[in-house]
Amino acid sequence: MVATILLIVHGLVAVALLGALTHQTLATWAPGRSGSFFGRFRRVPPASFANAVVILYVIAALLGGIVYLYFRVDIRPSLERAGHWPALGFFDIKEHFISIGAALLPAYWVCWRRPRTEEPYRMRAALTGILAFIVWWGFLTGHVVNNIMGFGS
Amino acid sequence: MTSSHAFRRFAFAYGTAFAVLYVVALKLDLALFTVYPKQSVVLLGTHHSRDVVDPAMSFLAPAMYWYGWTASAALGALVFGLLGAVLPEQWTRRIWPGWLWVAPLAAMSACVYLTMPWFRL
Repeated sequence: MVATILLIVHGLVAVALLGALTHQTLATWAPGRSGSFFGRFRRVPPASFANAVVILYVIAALLGGIVYLYFRVDIRPSLERAGHWPALGFFDIKEHFISIGAALLPAYWVCWRRPRTEEPYRMRAALTGILAFIVWWGFLTGHVVNNIMGFGS
Repeated sequence: MTSSHAFRRFAFAYGTAFAVLYVVALKLDLALFTVYPKQSVVLLGTHHSRDVVDPAMSFLAPAMYWYGWTASAALGALVFGLLGAVLPEQWTRRIWPGWLWVAPLAAMSACVYLTMPWFRL
């Protein structure tokens, strides 16, 4: 029961993080000009998302780190017995990516909140893009692994 | 030297070093500690169940290394980060800042490569 609640909260935080990072990434890489839905989606001030992204990433990673203990004991053996090796591989990649992304957060925050004039814009864009990729990977992989044998199975 | 400049150099060095050291920890299996969640036990260093019990029985004590690999890389990166913060700026200025995003991308590719055996099972 505790694991299920934690997993749901982990997922909700991940959704918020995904939204913030996707907004910021698109606003950084392809700023919107038109007044259409997609134009407005990309017209947000990207720097304003940095604090939220850092906080949400840390919360999501901590919750994921706790839920991972339950996963290792209760879920993974079943996946191994069922031969879901590619899914386990994708999940392992997710955990590696999350660690690397977490270590980038201080630099990411500095680049957005304390930018230097001589600093290339592509530094911010690259870090944001990497974090967005990591979060999308983590979200999709977690979603698939969570559903692979059915909820509550 | 202001504290914000020092923190910037710390953050850049930490992020870059962590990416490299994480791959090293993963490849060489250098976990600072091993977690046995079923037994609620944490042992210092890398321990494999198969080293002490029959591999067929290892499912009784599933081991987790991710926390340990992350801690190993974080500890090492902390040293590089602090070095980056205290070294004179004219020294650190020579280092190409692009390593901050090139190193994580390379590390992520290396992690995918090291995980490939899962996809051949």
